[in-house]
Amino acid sequence: MAALFGREGNVTFGGGIATVAALQRELVNSKRWLDEEQSSMCVALARFTPGTVLLAFCTGAGWLLGRWKGALTALLAGSIPSALLVALMTGCFDLWSSQKLVQVAVSAVLASSVGILLSAFWTTIRPYMKAGRRGQSLAMVAGSIVLAMVGHLNPILILLLAATAGYFLKEEQQA
Amino acid sequence: MNWFVLYIHLLQATLGSFSGLASMSILREDFVVQNHYLTDRQLNTALVIGRSTPGPVGLYVVSVGYYAGGYPGAFAGWLALVTPALLVIPMIQYAGRKAESPAVKRMLRAVVLASAGVSLAATLPLGVDALHSPIAYGIAAVSLGLLLFTKVETIWVILGSAAAGLIPAAMQRI
Repeated sequence: MAALFGREGNVTFGGGIATVAALQRELVNSKRWLDEEQSSMCVALARFTPGTVLLAFCTGAGWLLGRWKGALTALLAGSIPSALLVALMTGCFDLWSSQKLVQVAVSAVLASSVGILLSAFWTTIRPYMKAGRRGQSLAMVAGSIVLAMVGHLNPILILLLAATAGYFLKEEQQA
Repeated sequence: MNWFVLYIHLLQATLGSFSGLASMSILREDFVVQNHYLTDRQLNTALVIGRSTPGPVGLYVVSVGYYAGGYPGAFAGWLALVTPALLVIPMIQYAGRKAESPAVKRMLRAVVLASAGVSLAATLPLGVDALHSPIAYGIAAVSLGLLLFTKVETIWVILGSAAAGLIPAAMQRI
């Protein structure tokens, strides 16, 4: 289990969704440790769990496979190697940040991060922009931007307001 | 800073988000705006490092922890990243069926969309810090285009951006 979660959780680029898909393939199709229903339940509940979807999926799948031992094995194997890599990379950045060429490269990379963040924004909202829910979705995004930028509300308060609004919202009619 | 205090601050951000980068707005408010534990540039660098490595997108929290408290801070960041994942266990045991409830689905949808909105709002100050020349604007636009319209992986976009920044600097030296 540690080898599987360690390999898939720490070597797949593309973020949580891509890695969850790779893990599902291994767990359901290759190893047959979980059936499709169990795997889908883990994905659904991972989306409802605060934090990172991938790590919640690893923990949920590990729990189904081996209770606490399985959950902790999957969570630790799925997170420790990549976290170590990030800590070391940050330490190296810190050490070399006074070098002129490194500063130039970092400035360029920081510019690209604006593009990365904007693409992450679009990737997040795109599934909710289908006909029948586009209006509510746009209103929710726009409202949260206004509350953050104009109202200067704390982000956690904005999320709580959104959850409350979501509870009382009605589904839009299909176009 | 005490690593446990840092852990509590970081945990507040990871518990308040439902996707990898959604914690960024909460972290920026706490660490940059309110408490000045790090600068916009350090937060932006942490985001880039998080995206340069395989694994979950939220890994940048480890980098944020490092900037705020060295390697013990990075450990606090990792701990804050993994702690919320344990909440899935009681959910599997007790709440599995409620995940299909329309009201719960609507609430999750609203929270995901709002977190995207507050993340976009937090991106603007990072953009002001990062975009200070026509080349920087070009790099940001090309990166966005590549990520939206091609299947190029983020690591190649980041490495390409570094090269695009270094080439004009090298030519100036020549």
